[in-house]
Amino acid sequence: MLSSDRIGALVLLAFSIGYGAMIYQIPLLPFQRTAAFTAQTLPQALSVMGIVLSLVLLFTSRNRDMPDVAGYHWLKGGLICGLMVAYGFLVRPAGFILSTGLFLIFCELVLGERRWKILIFSTMPVVLFFWYLMNEVLGVYVAPLPEFLVDMRG
Amino acid sequence: MLEGILMGLTTAVSPINLAMVVAGCMVGTFIGMLPGLGPISAIALMIPITYGLEPSTGLILMAGVYYGAIFGGSTSSILINAPGVAGTVATAFDGYPMAKKGQAGKALAIAAYSSFSGGTIATLLLLVAAPSLAAVSLSFHSTDYFALMVLGLTAVAAFAGKGNVVKAILMTVLGLMISTIGTDQTQGIQRFTMGITDLIDGISFLLLAMAAFALSEALLVVLRPKSDKARAKELEAQSNLGSMKLSKAEIKEMIPVIGRSSLLGFFVGVLPGAGATIASFLAYGMEQRIAGEKGKEFGTGSIRGLTAPETANNAACSGSFVPLLTLGIPGSGTTAIMLGALISYGIQPGPRLYLDNPTVFWSVIISMYIGNVVLLILNLPLIPYIAKILSIPSNILTPLILFFSLIGVYFVSFNTFDIHLMVIFAVAAVGLRLLDFPLAPMLLGFILGGMMEENLRRALLINDDSWSFIIERPLTLSILLIAAATLVLPAILSKASVWFLNRVEKNKANES
Repeated sequence: MLSSDRIGALVLLAFSIGYGAMIYQIPLLPFQRTAAFTAQTLPQALSVMGIVLSLVLLFTSRNRDMPDVAGYHWLKGGLICGLMVAYGFLVRPAGFILSTGLFLIFCELVLGERRWKILIFSTMPVVLFFWYLMNEVLGVYVAPLPEFLVDMRG
Repeated sequence: MLEGILMGLTTAVSPINLAMVVAGCMVGTFIGMLPGLGPISAIALMIPITYGLEPSTGLILMAGVYYGAIFGGSTSSILINAPGVAGTVATAFDGYPMAKKGQAGKALAIAAYSSFSGGTIATLLLLVAAPSLAAVSLSFHSTDYFALMVLGLTAVAAFAGKGNVVKAILMTVLGLMISTIGTDQTQGIQRFTMGITDLIDGISFLLLAMAAFALSEALLVVLRPKSDKARAKELEAQSNLGSMKLSKAEIKEMIPVIGRSSLLGFFVGVLPGAGATIASFLAYGMEQRIAGEKGKEFGTGSIRGLTAPETANNAACSGSFVPLLTLGIPGSGTTAIMLGALISYGIQPGPRLYLDNPTVFWSVIISMYIGNVVLLILNLPLIPYIAKILSIPSNILTPLILFFSLIGVYFVSFNTFDIHLMVIFAVAAVGLRLLDFPLAPMLLGFILGGMMEENLRRALLINDDSWSFIIERPLTLSILLIAAATLVLPAILSKASVWFLNRVEKNKANES
């Protein structure tokens, strides 16, 4: 019977095995191999512990509950993750103000906000204030404008 | 010691630090009140801001946020029966029934007074207990530090909450695994970087904490379906607070409860891993047994039933600073994050903190007390206004939480790879949370992992590759033995709290 404990145990078992398989890619110099504790020792121990513990959980868990995810908004969650990834790609080339503003507005759109006044006024002041706070008060420079505009300005 | 206290006092009352306590308490209350966001997320969100500050100022801000978030958590427990933090679950048992009777204001006031008294008594105890623990500090070697880290790791057994020790340990191992990614600190060998240059420096603790707590929480808010009924309930509760005044008889009833619960809370808090949640349940159970005839009122809006867990959880918060500041062992997920923050300041928490950085040590303790006062005099009158935050729709609030989490990490590294890595970790964290796997042990394993390995390897180098130091050094051996005991003790404690909980429910069922 599959339960949330067992699904988790299987995932972590796979992770531990994958982790264990990668240990042999850690390069060791000949003199390091003879030491009692090398760069590989802790990962080896952890991998074994991970495998053993997930097997223990897999076979001893008495919990029969499945995660209750009925009615979850998976599409919304996926879109939000996509927006975060896009934000990561855009924040440099598009500049802080434009990329952050768009990110917040699109997030609100995904979450169901349709009134454009709220879309603008709940996001842009925050973006501008935050940019001002970082640049002027805390002294952390963040490029506010898209790269090509900065280039044109020279 | 007196000199240290004076130094700490001077630092703590400097204008900037006072401002930080006030700001921290306000922001903490604000964040803690949002259902789902607890002190861990609140403190994680603060870390990027504290990077630019002095270590003591940064820590003071975080301590303020910690207290504020616990207090805010109580507020949402009382008003909408939605504890933002596990530590305030017991608060809702009697707080919410009081609010339903139209005494929300009174319940909030009781919570504030109890928190204040619990915090005050615990801070006094901290003042006495911490230095005596720190006195043994000079005799610590790397072997003992290794044993200490092991002790810290075994403490996670109690993080499991529902008593599932295997899951908690498995998550700790996962955290340890993540900590091995990057360059090995002793020999400079790259491990598990998969040829990605951005991973050579390892994964930053901040990134992991933000992704696992703040970001995954925001994603869960997006994912979870929310009915209009729940929304209407929230709006109704915050519009109807009632009077906040307490009668003399009520105060008289509260005082002995506060005394007992503070002591209990503090000592449970000191035990690494036990923390505020267990403390509040134990205090609730204890008071119910002592109360006799009045114990029957528990669960229906009893003043004692609200005072006990509120006092105990705050006292336990102060208590959990004892192992953090003196031994470098975090007693809870929240103090684990503060440990990470201390390390990023270049301050090694542990026995030497008291000697090397007395200003940091004492100013944090003193500002914790100031935080208590601020909460009482500033937040109490502001409660009706703060409660308005519950009416900000989540489709505006969630994007902002996402933004602050992402940008908090990005503004430290200026590496866009971090944003993508955070999304990956956040998605994994959401999965683990849905499967009911605790994340705090993972973070603890991650933080302690690197230090543990380094100290163990140093100990082995010093001892010529021999493991005999484990038996030969009495201090190392005794700490390791305590670690073994810690693995078992909290499991018993949490069993006890579950037992108390069952009793409460049974009594409730009998009454109805």
